[in-house]
Amino acid sequence: MERKEFGTHVSASYNQYLEDLFNLVLEMGGMVEKQLSSAVIAVQNADVGLAKEVIQLDKFINREEIEIDRLCARVLARQQPTASDLRLVISAIRIALDLERMGDEVVKIAKLVVHLDKIGSDACLNLQGYKELIEISAHGTDMLKDALNAFSRLDLPSCAAIIQEEEKVDVIYKRAVKEVTERFKDSESDIECLLELIYALKASERITDHACNIAEIIVYLVNGKELRNMDSERMAEMLNELTRS
Amino acid sequence: MSEKTISLAMGHDHRGLSLEQEKVAIEVRDWNLFYGKSQALNNINMDLPENRVTAFIGPSGCGKSTLLRCFNRMNDLIDSVSVEGKMHLHGQDMYAKELDVAEIRRRIGMVFQKPNPFPKSIYENVAYGLRLQGVNDKKTLDDTVEWALKGAGLWKEAKDRLNDNALGLSGGQQQRLCIARAIAVQPEVLLLDEPTSALDPISTLAIEELIFELKKDFTILIVTHNMQQAARVSDYTAFMYMGELIEYSDTDSLFTNPQVKRTEDYITGRYG
Repeated sequence: MERKEFGTHVSASYNQYLEDLFNLVLEMGGMVEKQLSSAVIAVQNADVGLAKEVIQLDKFINREEIEIDRLCARVLARQQPTASDLRLVISAIRIALDLERMGDEVVKIAKLVVHLDKIGSDACLNLQGYKELIEISAHGTDMLKDALNAFSRLDLPSCAAIIQEEEKVDVIYKRAVKEVTERFKDSESDIECLLELIYALKASERITDHACNIAEIIVYLVNGKELRNMDSERMAEMLNELTRS
Repeated sequence: MSEKTISLAMGHDHRGLSLEQEKVAIEVRDWNLFYGKSQALNNINMDLPENRVTAFIGPSGCGKSTLLRCFNRMNDLIDSVSVEGKMHLHGQDMYAKELDVAEIRRRIGMVFQKPNPFPKSIYENVAYGLRLQGVNDKKTLDDTVEWALKGAGLWKEAKDRLNDNALGLSGGQQQRLCIARAIAVQPEVLLLDEPTSALDPISTLAIEELIFELKKDFTILIVTHNMQQAARVSDYTAFMYMGELIEYSDTDSLFTNPQVKRTEDYITGRYG
């Protein structure tokens, strides 16, 4: 299936609605992508000013989600979409929800920078876990970018790659959490700082989960197949199939 | 606990229907129909499930009404029509030479696009089929008329005016009267050929609601141009195009994830 097929209805206004829907989701995705890449820079440079901007951007992202919901309600009420059109509307609602939650997680990462600055602690900055936070967040940025490109082009092999990438991130995340929790045993550690770092790590891992969700939603949009809650064996089979498509 | 148990425990079961699990009412095999030399139906094969609503959709001239008319041998009335293939109603050959066509039409009733009550009383319209069968017992006729009018959702509106002329009813009431007339002779299958296309939206919804009720007792086949109607009322949908059956599956699947591109293009309103 190609994206241009959504523009081949007899009704020009219907074509316009669906084109607007694509564009609005990509616009919202672009905002979250910008927010996330800025958060990575803020963490890297302990840049409090940039972190605060990242936090402020969230309310604009939330507004975008409402816009997408409104447009979907309008399409449902006016056009009674079926088949791939219906799946596009359902997918847009679901992707917008994942993007909105992604934005919330990015805010949590940005808040780490603000918090560390407030308590004046730089003990965390040299921890391996802090470097891994940057690494996971950078993975998240790439996965989101790929997911948005996959949505724009309805590209299934990219979706498979994103889902596989998430497994690699899980490994880094587990290693990072283990490393940080080890530090709790050390009586000289700044516990507050470690806790904040754990929260931020969790948030960065959730971001990659959401990117993975978006990839799964795109698979549903393109071929109607549901990947959620699929057992690992069936999932591996499915990913092979998607990579070949 | 199994998935089914959990689903039932939660009071809903939204998993789809499956043709394989249905009891078959009408079986169609290698069915072809010609108007003279021109072929209107091309090798149709399908099993129509019992006590379900099956909708036939497709563009004008795709053969859906022609196929519907085959089910009660209405095409016999057109001289130039010839057919090939098999059609069985509960295992019985519907086109067997020795078969009484009137009997097939009793077992498979039909309601048309435009309500066509006879210019008689409401009561006589419903009793007509029974009288034709030689039933004259007043009690039997009274009971059947009441049962059929109730079944067609018209009893409340009509019970105090059974002797009024049927032509005085509104369009929606007339169509329900035609349904009552069709079910009065207790058919096994009810064919509906665009039954609401001449009705207003509220009467349309009343008929759709009625279809939902009627499938408990009858197998229903409906031809409709209104895709949303097919999506609302049917359990299974058949998409036809240029005399061929392109896709036939449970309505949920057909309207959310059709497997054939031509079906997708048609139901989404794209250039084919």
